[in-house]
Amino acid sequence: MFDRRGQIRILEAFLSIAVIFSALLISMTFPSSPNLAKQKSLVNIGTQALMKLDTNDTLGNLIKQENWTAIKQALDILLPIGVSFNLTIYDENLNPINSQAIQNTNLLGRETVSVQYVCASQNQNVRFFVLRLQLAWTR
Amino acid sequence: MASLLLSAQLYILEVGNVMNETESNSPNDFILAVKLGSRHVIVGSLANISNGGQNSNLASNLQKWSSLISKQYHFGKNILNYTLKETSPYSSGIWTNWGTNGYGVSSAYANFTYKLSDREFDVNWSYFINITTTLQIESTYQTVSGDVKQVDVIINGLNEAEPALAKQITIYYKLLGNWLIPNATNNYEIFDYGNGTYTASFMASIPSQNVEVSAHVIDQRQIYVQANATST
Repeated sequence: MFDRRGQIRILEAFLSIAVIFSALLISMTFPSSPNLAKQKSLVNIGTQALMKLDTNDTLGNLIKQENWTAIKQALDILLPIGVSFNLTIYDENLNPINSQAIQNTNLLGRETVSVQYVCASQNQNVRFFVLRLQLAWTR
Repeated sequence: MASLLLSAQLYILEVGNVMNETESNSPNDFILAVKLGSRHVIVGSLANISNGGQNSNLASNLQKWSSLISKQYHFGKNILNYTLKETSPYSSGIWTNWGTNGYGVSSAYANFTYKLSDREFDVNWSYFINITTTLQIESTYQTVSGDVKQVDVIINGLNEAEPALAKQITIYYKLLGNWLIPNATNNYEIFDYGNGTYTASFMASIPSQNVEVSAHVIDQRQIYVQANATST
């Protein structure tokens, strides 16, 4: 009788260990999932900021004027506090055209997301640009 | 044990919910950006054409835009097709009518179909973009003495049927077959009501009983339009 009880306890102990390990395994399989959601929201924030800047052709005009400082200042305003960014602007042949960095802080060593945005300028000589906005949470 | 299983299950459910929510916004943003860009291309093309550019510039610019869009999404199909409106009064998506009845219009119209699909979603979206700058003018005059007339012109500018400000307005009047621009010597004045309505007035010696005036307007989007009117 005691032997059977002991066997059941041992089985129970093994079962508990298995459950604990499986729970640990499951949690390790998705360790970055909450971060992924956060990163996805960062993509949306970045896209919305660029779209807002592009709505009245401000973006196209500033690029044509090569006013990189104004673009940086606009992104500083449009993006929430705590977001680091680095914007690279390419022409339609994908040659980078911004002669100076458009960024608020260095993104080195940070987990970044990248937003690709295509825009056209609205003036008589229509020009096309591809923008790559890299974003990271500062904290 | 039960609580462990339950918490693990809840965690998985929670993660699944958040991921679905964020992913659903992504294609919408991309589509809106494509539509916004298409609008810019049409406005820019119409500005170019109304200022003397070739009508074919609209198709050429849209082709470039469509080609650029198709290269931007690498995980599935991303196709933007366009059709220029050919129904009268449009030709190759463009309609310009700078008539003598006090009405002028510069317009561009294109239909788009956009397909964006990958393993997670399949979006087929049709939209059209119609950019129209309209100008309406009314002219009246009063004889001051002899041939000298006081001419008043009311100018109304519209963008897509909504009142819109002008960037530049030039008024002309016809004298002996020549179009002249009234200046300070003609007591030329223009008043901006701030809502797309302007009144211009000037004095000139015009022998004819029919005073022909013309307004040449460039709107805030650089689109040019003109209208002529005759006051009796």
